[in-house]
Amino acid sequence: MKTLLSFSENRFLQVVLVGYFLVWIATSINPLDRQVWAIENILVMVLVTILAATYRRFTFSNLSYLLIALYLSLHAVGTNTGYAQTPIGFWLKDMLGLDRNPYDRIIHFAFGLLLAYPFYELVIRTGNLRGWPAHWSPVSIILAASVGFEVMESLVAEIVSPGTGPAWLGAQGDEWDMQFDLAAALLGSLAIMPFTYWEERVATKLGSPHE
Amino acid sequence: MSKKPFRERKLLQILCASYAIIWIIAAIDPVKRSDWLLENLLVFGCVPVPIFTYRRLPLSDASYILIFLFLVMHTIGAHYTYAEVPFGYWLKETLHLERNHFDRIVHFSFGIMAYPIQEIFVRITKAQGIWALLLPSAITISFSGFFEIIEAVVATLVNPQLGAAYLGLQGDVWDAQKDMGLAIVGATLAVSFGYKPIQRELGVSLNKENQKAG
Repeated sequence: MKTLLSFSENRFLQVVLVGYFLVWIATSINPLDRQVWAIENILVMVLVTILAATYRRFTFSNLSYLLIALYLSLHAVGTNTGYAQTPIGFWLKDMLGLDRNPYDRIIHFAFGLLLAYPFYELVIRTGNLRGWPAHWSPVSIILAASVGFEVMESLVAEIVSPGTGPAWLGAQGDEWDMQFDLAAALLGSLAIMPFTYWEERVATKLGSPHE
Repeated sequence: MSKKPFRERKLLQILCASYAIIWIIAAIDPVKRSDWLLENLLVFGCVPVPIFTYRRLPLSDASYILIFLFLVMHTIGAHYTYAEVPFGYWLKETLHLERNHFDRIVHFSFGIMAYPIQEIFVRITKAQGIWALLLPSAITISFSGFFEIIEAVVATLVNPQLGAAYLGLQGDVWDAQKDMGLAIVGATLAVSFGYKPIQRELGVSLNKENQKAG
């Protein structure tokens, strides 16, 4: 049973929030391409606003907030230089002998890995789902959200940079870029599923329903 | 939903028989046997599901009609390797399109499968409200995305040189995105229209109007 803390009492969440805020400031000061940075931050603004506005009505666990903050931090790093040019990505490329900057792929994987759990929490607490639908729904949501994101991305690309096609999105010449992205998100969310089963088992043992 | 056994469901029998006949005709002499086989893996994988779960989870006539229509279109597409469906050519001529759009129509129709998926999902989970809309469409859309992944894997296995062209992109760089976009539109429509009849049919929510009318 989680005790619901008000924000002013929740020291952990305050630290997480400050941490993310610092990352966000650092990556927003001097981005390589201000337009790309702005576009990439639209969804962040929407998401953070929703989380803040619904905090009282629906408070996630601190674990979920930590995961969300981690994901948003990784995303913020990508927005600073544009995903295809992240220094960490280039370093990984050299280290592992890859033929492309893998940073965007990693973030797609992280999208599944880090956000499946918050979705799981949302689904079991507000949707009252139990059993396998509860464990599979987050996977489905992650993949569907990725699909929605890819579709939206293609629309944005055509508006902002018509004719340049997937290159503008940092496909880096890979014709299966989108499919790899989807697969990465799917694998990330599947990796979290055993954890949700384990957590459910522990919660049942302790005799407390998910709350 | 209908509690009637299969032998009393005339419409369902007609749908099954019609599909069997259509499938056989399409299977006799497809334009390209290897494509036909590949496309039919989907049929072999999916058709047994409603059959074997029929006793536990018989669906409404509306769901079966939609599944039937989707399967018929897919079967026609499989027969003509999608890119060469005559109806698509006819549309291309009539509307002066750049390509045969039959595959796009079927991707949209796949989105409509959110209706039966919603029925199954709501029956199993008793979901109501926003989740009864969001999750069935998410499931449908995620299948559409999963299908694109599988397609990529298959294309790489079958013909690594040809790559993405193998999938009948017909030169469109956003082909996969458009396909999935149409599935999203179809799924959104299907769950919106499906919500009320499905909730009512399954007696999950007894709305007051019904009680008055009853």
